[in-house]
Amino acid sequence: MALQLSRPDLQLLLSEAHCAAWRLVRRMRLPRHQLEDVRQDLLLDLLERLPAYDTRRGTLGAFAGKILTHKAARLAKSIWRERLLLGGEPVSLDESVAGFARVELIPEEQGLAAFFCQNTDAFARIERRLDLVSALGALDNDDLRLCAELYHATADRLAARGRAPRSSLYRRLKRIRLELMAAGLAAA
Amino acid sequence: MTSKITPLPPVRLRCSEMELCGWLGQASPGDVLQYHRGFILVDRDPIHERLPKKDREELARLSARAHWAAERGFAHLLQRRHGECDYSYLIIARPRPKAVAATILATLDQEAA
Repeated sequence: MALQLSRPDLQLLLSEAHCAAWRLVRRMRLPRHQLEDVRQDLLLDLLERLPAYDTRRGTLGAFAGKILTHKAARLAKSIWRERLLLGGEPVSLDESVAGFARVELIPEEQGLAAFFCQNTDAFARIERRLDLVSALGALDNDDLRLCAELYHATADRLAARGRAPRSSLYRRLKRIRLELMAAGLAAA
Repeated sequence: MTSKITPLPPVRLRCSEMELCGWLGQASPGDVLQYHRGFILVDRDPIHERLPKKDREELARLSARAHWAAERGFAHLLQRRHGECDYSYLIIARPRPKAVAATILATLDQEAA
């Protein structure tokens, strides 16, 4: 027989999932913004296993607690495995460090290009600049102005200032990327 | 009066807009790519339904991008006729134009002023 969840039952499941997610985030020292993702993972697993709940064996809260504990343990294990594989804790490139985004503080020698064994010496940098100047000639003036504005602010901030709707800015960026690719500028 | 309807050859999407741009970026002058085989005017038309909707939209973007490349001087566009409503649409890479109309530095200077 399918389990019928009442409103209090649903509130109970949500609050148990929230507590379990908080515990996991604190124990694993995960960034705060991952709390939502962790909570969703836990809740999804709980809802999938809900048909197995037997009212004769215990309360719904106890059942939910047990399921969430096991799932949290599995998540913790996979996070540890990922950290061992990557040699540390992943960080967000958008994280603010001393007023700058972390991505702005990474030197060229430690960037993605170096990771993929691309040339990052001074000659390569100059050649890349020349390629960029040449490729930018393929863009029209409106797109060049947008690129100049994006030098100082992200697309989200421009949209927040009322420059244009966010979706149209990202559509234009997609088109600009294709045009730069066609003009011979390889992705970094 | 003939009542025979010439069946159109089957058509499929061979290339996406991104693949065309990637090819253009690394092509040497004289390189040729067949970016479509069929009859673009009919293949893009939703009434004939020769392609699924998603492919029709991609074909529209692809042909627009090919025209953009030709207008910018990156390539020549040619067609080769094989039969009724059966063309090969070819794009031939050209040497890159040397003159650069504007640079990001000039635009940044204007924005700062």
